[in-house]
Amino acid sequence: MIEADGLTKNYGSVTAVNGVSFTVAEGELFGLLGPNGSGKTTMIRMLTGQIPPTSGSARVMGLDPAGDPIGVRRLVGIIPEQETPPSFLTAEEYLHFVARIRNLDRIEERCDRWFDLLEFREKQDVLCKDLSRGTRQKLMFAQAFLHEPRLALIDEPLINLDPIMQRTVKDFLQEYVRDGGTVFISTHILEIAAEICDRVAVLHDGRLLYCGRTGDLAGSGESLERSFLDLVRGDAGA
Amino acid sequence: MPVPDLFLAMMKEEWRIHSTIFGSAGFAFFPVVVGFFAFAGSLALPIFSDTLPYTAMAILALALFLLAGVMVGSFGTMGREFMNRRFGQASLVAYASRSLPVSERRIFATFLVKDTVYYILLYVLPFAAGFTAATPFIALDPALGLLLFVSLALAFLTGLAIICLLSTLYARSVRLLAGAIAALAIAGLAIVMAGTVPVFPPYAFLLDPGPGPLAVSLILILVPAAASVLLVTVDYPDRTRRFKNSLDPLAERLRAVGSAHFIAKDALDLLRSEGGAGKVIFSFLLPLGLVWVCLRILIRFIPGIDPLVVFAVLLGVLSATIYNWTTEFDSFTAYAVLPVEVSEVIDGKLKSYALANFLPAAVLVLAAATTGGGAGTFLPAFAAFLSVSAYTLAVTVFLCGLSPNVMLYSAGVFLRYILAISPVLLCLIFASLLDPAYAFGSLLLLLPAALLITRGRRKWQAWEMPGY
Repeated sequence: MIEADGLTKNYGSVTAVNGVSFTVAEGELFGLLGPNGSGKTTMIRMLTGQIPPTSGSARVMGLDPAGDPIGVRRLVGIIPEQETPPSFLTAEEYLHFVARIRNLDRIEERCDRWFDLLEFREKQDVLCKDLSRGTRQKLMFAQAFLHEPRLALIDEPLINLDPIMQRTVKDFLQEYVRDGGTVFISTHILEIAAEICDRVAVLHDGRLLYCGRTGDLAGSGESLERSFLDLVRGDAGA
Repeated sequence: MPVPDLFLAMMKEEWRIHSTIFGSAGFAFFPVVVGFFAFAGSLALPIFSDTLPYTAMAILALALFLLAGVMVGSFGTMGREFMNRRFGQASLVAYASRSLPVSERRIFATFLVKDTVYYILLYVLPFAAGFTAATPFIALDPALGLLLFVSLALAFLTGLAIICLLSTLYARSVRLLAGAIAALAIAGLAIVMAGTVPVFPPYAFLLDPGPGPLAVSLILILVPAAASVLLVTVDYPDRTRRFKNSLDPLAERLRAVGSAHFIAKDALDLLRSEGGAGKVIFSFLLPLGLVWVCLRILIRFIPGIDPLVVFAVLLGVLSATIYNWTTEFDSFTAYAVLPVEVSEVIDGKLKSYALANFLPAAVLVLAAATTGGGAGTFLPAFAAFLSVSAYTLAVTVFLCGLSPNVMLYSAGVFLRYILAISPVLLCLIFASLLDPAYAFGSLLLLLPAALLITRGRRKWQAWEMPGY
């Protein structure tokens, strides 16, 4: 579903992502881990055609995000790190707006499903700007899955959600993957990766330090946190 | 927090807002551009002095700065949402009364002083300096430059103070604002009925720089400014606003136009944002009223001028600000996760603009009805309005894409904007002085307008997509 081959992104003299290669297979729940500023968001933005890479290439569901960003965004669902629904539409209007852009049918039915699943029906007539950050994140979740994509790319999926809703979202993502969907999440919260990701990649200072099964990184008897810290601190000291 | 520190923090903040977007050098160049245009325009004054006496030109300049004050005041008091859209959750010092141990009144008073100093340095001083530099070449006393500076500053501050008071009243209660406007209208009517023609105090000061006109000017500034500080409320009650789904019904009604959901969203953005339709009154109808009054005064000085055609030309330029409103609460970031091209968003804005342009068209019809010039004047005026409006819009789209409210503060962009529009305006206005029918020639502008829009769509598609 995703192939990254030597992806590099420079912002002036700063290299945000440096020659990163990995693949994500269909039906995987893949986690991109790394401390703040390690290049995770830049990686998602390149994979979704929001910014072009400086060098290297990628294929997302068979399309080149740099050459056909609209094609990629038509197929996948994206949840950005900073939720940005338009301020003066209500939650319901925003989902209808997205549905119209995506030319979807059964709009009411699709929206109802998400209002119920993420438990924010009572907020459907509230302006997006008046929603709490958590509800805005739910709304962005809903817009990303409204068209029932086969691949979702999610930047920090649970950061604004309360523990109950985090559980709901984690359960949903695992069920989605069981049903054949693919999820690519980027996060610095290791517990999420440890709990739900099949495979993980670790980025530090834009470079890929590890890519493999989550259990293999944690090692026998060690926590994912311990292994992650050893890896990142070892790289920083190198 | 001591006031001087607050003032300096606000000055730095204002500078950084602008310089973050254009770079320090680019924005620092803006006053130089203003000064250059004032210098070049002043050199040309003798050429037009036969048709346009210096006194009439002074009225125009004062009206321009009164308008600038109105614009700065409107933005200062209603621009929070714009800042949030453009810079994320902007935490400006002006909105920080909740987190800083400083009262709203003190913050707002300092904010007014900051606006006064900042924008006098940005607009008024360079303009007066440009004029002063030109005086030796046009046989005028350089001391006039200082007099002009004070008069323009007074005009600017009058606009700033009055609009601050009106928008403060509006923030408290729409009824309070309506009452204040009604009281002002009745007072104005009473003065006119009494047979006295009031002279704009800064203009009176320019003609007769004595303590009397200066005192009246200062009263006209200080009273509304003080009242707006006393009545200010920036800490709006936190209220959750709920609405029924209006997007779908509106989009259904607009289906024939295409891009219906984008247009419906623009309409809802405009109506539901702070100030609602009141913003349009402050930023569009008020300046238009001012232009109309100035034109009625200019008729006395320029025999043969057709106020309707000139008004239509200026209306065309001002109507392009509707595009600014449709883009103010939107940024392409909101579409970054959706399969939407920049050109699609721009098309939606253009359609919103075209629909909203019925408002200025209605204003033109109203103006025509009050002048009673008949079809012989109205038709060329209407042609001029349509063409100038389309051309100005096209120049704005080409130069600024989806960010006219930001980009026009870049010296380079502003320079190109002025160079693209002002020669066209001057030619049209002077041609219409010879014969109003020449205004039909403005229809030729539709060709470059179409070309600029086509190129603008392509340019911003390539520019915004990789960068947002």
